[in-house]
Amino acid sequence: MQDEPVLSWKVAGLLLGVLLIVATALVKPLGVSTQYVVTDAMVLHGAAPQMAESNEYLSKYGEQEDWGIGYGWMLVLGMFVGGSLSAFVTKRFRKRDNPSMSSMWQSEFGSSSPRRMMHAFTGGVLLLFGARLAGGCTSGHMISGISQLTIGSFVFGISIFASGILTARILYKRRLAS
Amino acid sequence: MKLVLGLLIGMAFGAILQLGGGSSYKKILGSLLLKDLDIIKLILMAIAVGTVGIYALDLVDMANMNIKPTYVVGIIIAGLIFGVGFAVAGYCPGTCIVAASEGKTDAFVTILGGLTGALLYALVYPMLGGLIGLTNYGEVTLPSAFGVTGLWIAIPFSAILFLLMFKVLKDRY
Repeated sequence: MQDEPVLSWKVAGLLLGVLLIVATALVKPLGVSTQYVVTDAMVLHGAAPQMAESNEYLSKYGEQEDWGIGYGWMLVLGMFVGGSLSAFVTKRFRKRDNPSMSSMWQSEFGSSSPRRMMHAFTGGVLLLFGARLAGGCTSGHMISGISQLTIGSFVFGISIFASGILTARILYKRRLAS
Repeated sequence: MKLVLGLLIGMAFGAILQLGGGSSYKKILGSLLLKDLDIIKLILMAIAVGTVGIYALDLVDMANMNIKPTYVVGIIIAGLIFGVGFAVAGYCPGTCIVAASEGKTDAFVTILGGLTGALLYALVYPMLGGLIGLTNYGEVTLPSAFGVTGLWIAIPFSAILFLLMFKVLKDRY
């Protein structure tokens, strides 16, 4: 099966927990979504410096230590490298029948690539708008935040799963009915 | 040095997500449809292990914590928006990076969407100050709210999560 994971949730979850502890001891807890704004700010500071500097949020990043290609940005780059290495080693690189969509999506919405790309893009916009408004994403706010027993992270975790579960039920209502 | 450390921790993070199925659309939607709870249980396991480890480190003053402010209304709205994106894309901001690294082209498009969404947020940010200021309780955690040592909450909390993972949550096929 193309999508069957190599590790069980128990082992992967344990390893992720240990990695979180190591990262917190050495630097800080894990987080990803900030780097999307950092990347935006980097690109804009190059392409349209005036616009970047005049924006309250984008110019903020220029002042911080982690601005640009810092620890957090390298971590995200590392995710890309580590993910593709383990996909190659376990022979799961580009193993989908159709690289642009999961067979599960295809069975519900058909084999139109542009339609899948619309979903993928819109989803991405909502993910990062939400993550930036909350101050973190699944890794930074939920996994790292709840592990630190941050009250807002419990709120965020409940909120994303309530909304995600409801949305998934609407998207896959035909599959659920059958 | 910090850059190399970031790369190494990131590589481990990416590999764990890839090996555990975190970058799989099918596994994520399976969890959101409550059919295949592996991803939910993976997250709960990471938290159950992480919380005890972090508060044990804290006891010897070795935890570099990063507590995010709790602005209840803003976070609920953010989570509702994020959740729709989570189900529609079938990835989250980290797992789409890993999925893209496996050659899944839709995940690249989710990254582009993410860069656009982050930029959109930066543009409307000046108007959102009120939302973030509303019901903002600051950097508050359960131990700080109750004024106790973190481990006293982390250990029973972790035990509850283990109970959830192994006794309560069952796959429904």
